[in-house]
Amino acid sequence: MLGAPNGRDGVRSPMFVLSFLIRRLAQGAVIIFLVSLLIFTLLRVVPGDPVRLMAGGMAPEALIEEIATKMGLRDPIVVQFGRYMGKVVQGDLGQSFVRPANGAATGGASFNDATRGERAEVLDLILETLPMTLQLAATALAIALVFSTALGVAAGLNPGGWIDKLAFYVSSVFISLPNFWLGIVLALLLSVKLGWLPAIGYAGYSYTILPAIVLAVELSPVLIRTLSSAVAAQMGQSYVAIGHVRGLTLPRIVLNHALRNASVPLLNVLGVQFSSLLGGVIIVEYIFDYPGLGLLTINAVLQRDFPLIQGIAIVTSAIFVLINILVDLAATSIDPRLEY
Amino acid sequence: MAAAVLSVRNLSVDLALAGRERPILKDISFDMRPREIVGVVGASGSGKTVLSKAVVNWIEAPLAIRGGEVRFRDRDILAMAPGEMRRLRRDVAYVGANPMGALDPTLPVGRQIVEKIRAVAPEIGGAEAARRVVELLEAVRIPSAKARFHDYPSQFSGGMMQRALIVDAMVSNPTLLVADNVTQPLDVTVAAQVIRLMRELTERFETAVLFVSSSLPVAREAASRILVIDDGRLVEEQPTEALIASPRHPYTRELVSQVPAIWREAPAVPRGSNAERSAVVSLNDVSQTYRVRKRGAFAGASELRAVRRVTFDVFKGDSFAVVGESGCGKSTLMRLLSRLERPAGGEVLCEGQDISKLSGAGLLAFRRKLQLVLQDPFDSLPPRTAIGRMLEIPLRVHGWRDAGRIREKVRAVMNDVGLPDALYEELPTGLSAGQRQRVNVARAMVLDPEILLMDETLSALDQTEQFKLLALFEKLQREHSLTYIFISHDLAMVRKACNRIAVMYLGEVVELADNDRLFFDPGHPYTKALLSAMPTLEERRYRPEDCLLEGEPPSPIDLPTGCSFRSRCPQAFDRCVRENPLLTARGRTDLSSCHLVSSPSAIAAERASRSTGT
Repeated sequence: MLGAPNGRDGVRSPMFVLSFLIRRLAQGAVIIFLVSLLIFTLLRVVPGDPVRLMAGGMAPEALIEEIATKMGLRDPIVVQFGRYMGKVVQGDLGQSFVRPANGAATGGASFNDATRGERAEVLDLILETLPMTLQLAATALAIALVFSTALGVAAGLNPGGWIDKLAFYVSSVFISLPNFWLGIVLALLLSVKLGWLPAIGYAGYSYTILPAIVLAVELSPVLIRTLSSAVAAQMGQSYVAIGHVRGLTLPRIVLNHALRNASVPLLNVLGVQFSSLLGGVIIVEYIFDYPGLGLLTINAVLQRDFPLIQGIAIVTSAIFVLINILVDLAATSIDPRLEY
Repeated sequence: MAAAVLSVRNLSVDLALAGRERPILKDISFDMRPREIVGVVGASGSGKTVLSKAVVNWIEAPLAIRGGEVRFRDRDILAMAPGEMRRLRRDVAYVGANPMGALDPTLPVGRQIVEKIRAVAPEIGGAEAARRVVELLEAVRIPSAKARFHDYPSQFSGGMMQRALIVDAMVSNPTLLVADNVTQPLDVTVAAQVIRLMRELTERFETAVLFVSSSLPVAREAASRILVIDDGRLVEEQPTEALIASPRHPYTRELVSQVPAIWREAPAVPRGSNAERSAVVSLNDVSQTYRVRKRGAFAGASELRAVRRVTFDVFKGDSFAVVGESGCGKSTLMRLLSRLERPAGGEVLCEGQDISKLSGAGLLAFRRKLQLVLQDPFDSLPPRTAIGRMLEIPLRVHGWRDAGRIREKVRAVMNDVGLPDALYEELPTGLSAGQRQRVNVARAMVLDPEILLMDETLSALDQTEQFKLLALFEKLQREHSLTYIFISHDLAMVRKACNRIAVMYLGEVVELADNDRLFFDPGHPYTKALLSAMPTLEERRYRPEDCLLEGEPPSPIDLPTGCSFRSRCPQAFDRCVRENPLLTARGRTDLSSCHLVSSPSAIAAERASRSTGT
């Protein structure tokens, strides 16, 4: 096998996987660096002085300047960024401007608030909330995949049939439902009226289900359309027609071959959809008061908590990069012709 | 006489598309005996492929069986339930014309063949099936079959894939194999290997083969009896040699007469009178190298040397041919000649000017002088543009403004190439492949070029259409004193239409000779192999047993040391490993690069002959 990247029977050789991972992780590091730079710069050129928020409206101007200089906020942006990234690579994402280490956020009404001295580590804040959001995202993805696969594959096998039309209508309706509206309606119906599922806050896994359903509804339309068109396209390929003539059974052709091939575009779409999932999480978590990364983000933005916003941006872009690397690795191991 | 394996009785198939209903096959009846290879020939669109599909019970909408029976072992398979038919797939196998699309691209080839065995013969265990597949892959001479078993379809070349599919068909020991145009996508030397392989396999497995082909000479190579189909009707059926010697039906007679003669008669081409022969296009030591990324490596690229140090002249009025198999660099050469690419080394001269240095008006003038006619008649025409408009565009690009004159010119050219005026406002949708190629030729001719570069222009057409287009080319050359450069793999066409021929192998010109010399006294073993593999109706001058090649060309990324042909050359000896032979003069005008050519005066002879202006 001259220069073949594959080992026996489709298993990628360790060398290939290693070189792939190193190359892609290096690219990913560059992406994360650029995202950090962008966020860092933008946060510092938008109006609104965080020191004013921290110190309180009544603090004298001289004190504000003093605090700002002490925190390095009056240095050139490049210097601030360099200092920040130097710490980031050591795993220190800095401290929140606003949040105390011991709990609830303070708006900081009075500048000499005793709790202000001990501020929360950004990394701790993120690590507390991230697992909650990952749990929510995974549940949403599972629900969306089960639902979309059933509908999308059935539609793709009968293009133009009633199930194809049903899939089209369902995805049209789903894509037009605003998630904040759906969240409120579902909470009202399933939680308040029927009492099946809890809705607000978090006190156990059952609190994840309702927001996950809302996110799944948001994800499904694209997955259904991708799957149904990919399956329909695969079923029109000559290897399917010739498969019948070669004596393969229909279930074999569909399960072993058509779905295998159709899963490549699905994986690619999933990689991209993850970003919209992260966007959806912010709104959905806010509505359900779900203590995840989304809620943390909203509060951080409202409070102009620069270090926290930067930390969240870096962590989410890292997650996004990692997921896309995994998706591409999965796609190349399904289809050996792909090169990423 | 043994009982028939297959009896087709009064088979009729219709196209059942609302508004366009028409019969495709009309009342076809024939029998096949065990171990017999029966050829089916006919023009494209005559219904051959539909017949081959009907025989394996693969008629799908919009086609519909109108009547008749396909009896396999005395049972009508067209009336069978799908489940029963599926079990019969073990005995009725099929190989089609498009090997690359026939298997799932994401799974190893061997595994898919094993899957097929297990589907039609569940009693065979997985390990036993895998053993059988490897054994058969070896039998069809796929090198290192054990490793190839685990390779993906995209890692197989077309010829290798076709052999793998023959393994796939034969692995269940079928009683009947339907081979629909199996050699069509293959190069001649590989096609000859595949046909030879099929004949061996019929012996070994006692399989009857229905060999469908659009080429009578190819069918003759394979079959002992030939059915001729014209417009859905079986018009003649005779044993092969009798059919060729004394065709009865007028259509068969036409078919036989249109097969180009190779050695029987001298072609009418010794054009290009020696009087004032000036070179219009010259290649001087031209090379082209591409960089391809290495897979599975951190960085780094390999060099693919597509064209290596090619030197030749094309004289005014020549019909010059560049021949060779896929991957030999002909298409790269076409791109260099038409300045779609600039060479990595050497120069391409057009009337003394280096075309890679042209720009602006000079380049436009060169484009007007040299026009390109492409291979694919379907993809090369914009589907939503009227034909007249298609022909107007080049004129507008080259500065014509007067709408009346443009129209007049386009009509004149359409008339020249045999397109009716009525097509001016038509879209190309309904045109046949032949008509479309005429549009392509017209699109080139509309600029009154001096040189036409034909990149496999005829290879998508069937015999009859090729015949007509060649006549057209001859007429155009006479009337417009054109110079043709044909890029082709079809030696029969080249024999008929060209006076000077360059044979390429792995990016190098290995032989350059006048038509008669090349066909009657080839100087390079590769040329001999090409000639011996060429399907023809005549008695062969070169016996395939003596010169036919095994295997396929090596990769141009990983060239062999010394002579690049040595890995397939039946006459290779130790000097070939050490040094690459230079183009060596054989007589006044012909050159060949082989250590076996006696004169050692090397390429200098060509240089000398050029400077004296021979």
